[in-house]
Amino acid sequence: MDTARLLPLVVAVPLLGAAVLVATGRRLPRLVSDIVGCAFAAVTAATALLVLFRAGRPGPGAYPVEWVSGWRRVGIVLVGDPLGAGLAALVSLLVVAVLVYSWRYFEEPPRRHTGSFPALILVFQAGMCGFALTGDLFNAFVFFELMGVVAYALTGFRVEEPKPLQGALAFGVVNSLGGYATLLGITLLYARTGELGFAQIGRRLDTEGPDGLVLAAFVLVTTGLLVKAAAVPFHFWLPDAHAVAPTPVCMLLSGVMVELGVYGVARVYWTVFSGPGGLSHPDFTRALLVLGVLTALLGAAMCWQQRHLKRLLAFSTVAHTGLFLIGVAVLTPEGISGTALYVLGHAGVKAALFACVGVLLDRYATVDEHELFGRARELPEAGALFAVGGLALSGLPPFGSGLGKAVAEEAAGHTAAWLPALYVLVSAVTGGAVLRAGLRIFAGAGRRPRDGEEDEPETTGEEEPETGGRLRRIPVPLLAVPAALLAASLAIGVIPAVGSAVGRAGALFTDTGGYRRTVLDGHAAAAPAHPPPHWQLTGILLGLLSAALAVTLATLAVRRPARTGTAALLAPVRRLQSGHIGDYVAWLVAGTALLTVLTVPGVR
Amino acid sequence: MSARARLWVFLVGAAGFAALFAAACFDLPAFGTVPHPYGVRAVRAALSHHTANVIASVNFDLRAFDTLGEETILFSAVLGTVVLLRQARDEHRTDPEPAVVHPRVRRFALLTLPFALLVGLYVIAHGQVSPGGGFQGGVVAATALHLLYIAADYRALERVRPLALYEIGEAAGEAAYVITGLAAVLAGSAFLANVLPFGTLATLSSGGTVPVLNAAVGLEVASGVVVLLARFLDQAVEIEEPGEDGGSPRGSGDSGGNGDDERERA
Repeated sequence: MDTARLLPLVVAVPLLGAAVLVATGRRLPRLVSDIVGCAFAAVTAATALLVLFRAGRPGPGAYPVEWVSGWRRVGIVLVGDPLGAGLAALVSLLVVAVLVYSWRYFEEPPRRHTGSFPALILVFQAGMCGFALTGDLFNAFVFFELMGVVAYALTGFRVEEPKPLQGALAFGVVNSLGGYATLLGITLLYARTGELGFAQIGRRLDTEGPDGLVLAAFVLVTTGLLVKAAAVPFHFWLPDAHAVAPTPVCMLLSGVMVELGVYGVARVYWTVFSGPGGLSHPDFTRALLVLGVLTALLGAAMCWQQRHLKRLLAFSTVAHTGLFLIGVAVLTPEGISGTALYVLGHAGVKAALFACVGVLLDRYATVDEHELFGRARELPEAGALFAVGGLALSGLPPFGSGLGKAVAEEAAGHTAAWLPALYVLVSAVTGGAVLRAGLRIFAGAGRRPRDGEEDEPETTGEEEPETGGRLRRIPVPLLAVPAALLAASLAIGVIPAVGSAVGRAGALFTDTGGYRRTVLDGHAAAAPAHPPPHWQLTGILLGLLSAALAVTLATLAVRRPARTGTAALLAPVRRLQSGHIGDYVAWLVAGTALLTVLTVPGVR
Repeated sequence: MSARARLWVFLVGAAGFAALFAAACFDLPAFGTVPHPYGVRAVRAALSHHTANVIASVNFDLRAFDTLGEETILFSAVLGTVVLLRQARDEHRTDPEPAVVHPRVRRFALLTLPFALLVGLYVIAHGQVSPGGGFQGGVVAATALHLLYIAADYRALERVRPLALYEIGEAAGEAAYVITGLAAVLAGSAFLANVLPFGTLATLSSGGTVPVLNAAVGLEVASGVVVLLARFLDQAVEIEEPGEDGGSPRGSGDSGGNGDDERERA
């Protein structure tokens, strides 16, 4: 079949699967509904990979463009450029991994609704794939909302406890407000241009100069996407939601959903606002760079402070999102390709780490670093996976996360010479926090951490396993899936073809004129030639440096636990994460104003 | 953060937001001047497919893919509600008590029910011709069934409301939309393309796939709303909190559904 015709199927197939599961969920035994869910997710993944395979190299089928409903220019367009298609493939593969991981995971599915968990995951997959593939701003908003609705329900899945519901509520309120901001921005653009497609809006805007309306539209549309991306100060929902969501859901939220927010910012800027009628490049760079640096620093600082493992990983996601935003902010093809590689590598690593935490939760009924001290010595396999994950998170070559970090930090270094240092610092601290927790939990290294004066409100010992009773024997999928994810992350860094494909994807992504011509005029754009991202000596050395730093930090922390000095210094920052939804909403509104201030000199 | 600090953060942010939005509003196109570029094209497109209701044409033809997403948002919201409002381990179910209804209320509700149902189906069926369509008609039809709750009591509603059937109906509506789209692909066109004969403008059979998609959405929305309300009513009427005693009457501060019960009994 024509590659373009396959694009809507990536959305349609999982939706059909969800409908089948809901219709038959009452009668099917759990095993069958799990198999049906996996089958639909796998077919979608195969379709997305086929699209990616054809779009990822020059030749027939490259850059497929499909006008859904057959209405050229008036209707909705799906664009399978290599980056979008690659994200859809990443989402689909991770969904398959998650469904395999949660094979018989929950103690018991909702009574008479065995199909509802896989059905929700399939709709989540459809929403994320649709968001990655769409070339239409309003359609992107629809999929943005769809992702949200499903994610809120999945976060609150364990209704027996109050915390998941609180986390889901904060997630829902903050993300919905972000969605309203985006919708408001879309209406402004529609009022000005009468168009909803990225390419059409961009072309229309470029016929006139930028003004207040364009600036406001940019700020509002971007606000919603930054909420999804959990950029400071829109990030507060993320740790609260990730700490309480079921582990398989955390894998998807941290692995791909948050990154899709970053993708949205980049996609909307490059296709809509990057021309003369939009927002000038220096203004965009300044705004996003400030937010990215703040996000990375705050995420890393908070990550180091956590002892609740899911919160620790959640803040590490915040920190890495900051780095991704910086990679996008520098506005070069190298920045985009590096960030794309980083996202690919990070997705595997972060999902694997969450999977390991899930094993701990289900065996020991806690995810507290101090309570677990030395208890998991009996799980050497999980410990090894956790340690490898921590090292890969810190950017150790030759993992994909390391390659992405190396390429992105080099690209960022061209914009500001100190940015590579930030990449090294942030990945070392987040990787170090993971290694520290791993050393304590799986090796019982160092002294037993004392509890007492630093009893934090967000740390609880009252977690419940997600598998009914505590696990005695660890089922195979619970370890095989993280192992496979880490192997995939390694493969991304090792196989040169991935690097060159992502390099081409970045070049096409940043070619605004090429995108618009391909979508609207039907001339397939050729990728501008430039060298594909690959391992360079500086990158390898910096990767080794951050891994070494991470190990050093972890060892020091284990040897000399709980120095109260730094904790006291960061106490005001910690208190911001109050769990009060009103606070988060106030910060969201303030963040919109901050984004305005950062971009406002852009009105010429 | 203290309430005062929160207020200040919000006010500073809101001031910035207000300034931004005000600036944007001054740059909006003036009211009622030029024909809107999208409106012109949408009307032309709708007429070319013999769809008298241009809005239905935008929703179910030009931008049918958006509507698939919107239908799915409702679908997954209902699914999410089913999951979140499920009977938890420590909750138990009691049978709803029969209620005494004033005969006039009963007569009125029973009389209105078939008409409301008919209106709902009419609105679904005429989406391509006149204002309305699957979303609106689906809600009307689902509401009609709930008149039975007012006319009689919860047990009567439960008898006409086999939830399993409505859940299947909801899923079937969602699947029908996707399958209509896939059928167009099999026919050699784009996903969700309008491949059926367009018929005569402003008749029931006009618009090609528009009425088909409207029917799918109508089925999904009507069933979905029934399932959704059932979950909330169950929580209010049947499911007991762990602490609550099964038979004891509840306080007046309870949620709406139960309050209705109390009033009816009185």
